[in-house]
Amino acid sequence: MTDNRSENAKRIADQLASCGVKLVASLPDNWVMDVIETIDRDNRFIHVPVNREESAIGLCSGAYMGAMGSAALMGASGFMTVVYALTKINYTYEIPLFLLATLRGAVGDHHKHHVSNGLYLLPVLDAISMRYQIIDKVEEIPLISRCYRHTRTYARPMVVLFTRDLLRGSH
Amino acid sequence: MKYLDCFSALARRRTDEIVVASAGNSCQAWWAATRDSVGSFYLDASMSLSTMFASGLALAQPGLKIWAFMGDGAFCMNAGTLMVERQMNLPNLTHFLVSNRAYGGTSNAGLPNYKDNDYAAIARGMGLERVFAFSSLEKLERDFPAVKSANAPGHTFVVLEVEPFSEEDQKLEQPPFDGPELKFRFGRHIESLTGADVFGYRI
Repeated sequence: MTDNRSENAKRIADQLASCGVKLVASLPDNWVMDVIETIDRDNRFIHVPVNREESAIGLCSGAYMGAMGSAALMGASGFMTVVYALTKINYTYEIPLFLLATLRGAVGDHHKHHVSNGLYLLPVLDAISMRYQIIDKVEEIPLISRCYRHTRTYARPMVVLFTRDLLRGSH
Repeated sequence: MKYLDCFSALARRRTDEIVVASAGNSCQAWWAATRDSVGSFYLDASMSLSTMFASGLALAQPGLKIWAFMGDGAFCMNAGTLMVERQMNLPNLTHFLVSNRAYGGTSNAGLPNYKDNDYAAIARGMGLERVFAFSSLEKLERDFPAVKSANAPGHTFVVLEVEPFSEEDQKLEQPPFDGPELKFRFGRHIESLTGADVFGYRI
């Protein structure tokens, strides 16, 4: 892990801890591996690796009903599989949920298999009226706790999307 | 064993457990058996996620005992949840797999490989140790105390082999709540039991 990546992962973890997140449910994406490893080592969190992204939605929604702060961490492709769970659980019951995902397919992502995310991730979010916040720079990391608190006011899900430049550095 | 008889038997043996019911027929059956509108969360709007929802709740509130119902249709959709449950190994969570060998919520549509699925063996194969299976009301009545035994370590998995809903059963009332009302009824009950602050404000 380079210093910048390590520092940014630590900053993201600090933001989550500052707003009371205890449970982090995750599935990997290469871009968020530094964040996952940082959270896994950090005893402020209970880190639960899950079998698929929908399970993170169920787990975090149940934790909310037990008054435990939580976040679901995943890649963009994983996010694209959870529309059913989000709209059924979090919209039907108005259960807040905070997600962290990667902005795959955007400028800087050289993987051709993420073209579909570049084309459809943001339109899908718009289609389900789901709020999102793109975080591209270190100075924007404090927006994480603001967005988390907004889910509690808004009583619905919101996702923070990290760019490659933030998580891996530009290339 | 008849689905509704099984749920009535469970309802009689319930003491202070919090219940999460699932998409399919378990919401109807539990509502019919209990008419509980505060200590049960009817997660009808979710396929395969009832036990994950219950796991989050059980993790957050270790002082509560949680029962979660999941149909075998939901289990087929997301059997890997059992790996997550095993990994979390929460002693206050009991996962009831209601095996009617059909997609009960959609008019008993066919389930893949329904004749051969051995759910208890699958659970053991994932490392679960507290695995129970009941295919008759008599055995359920007789042996259920072992399921509820105090201070049992780790997560409990119970297979309930039941008959699919009849056409008449399918007409049973769904729990008559909109989602937000259910959230607040249930959440306020959790707050009253635990002192926890679920919603961030009190009326």
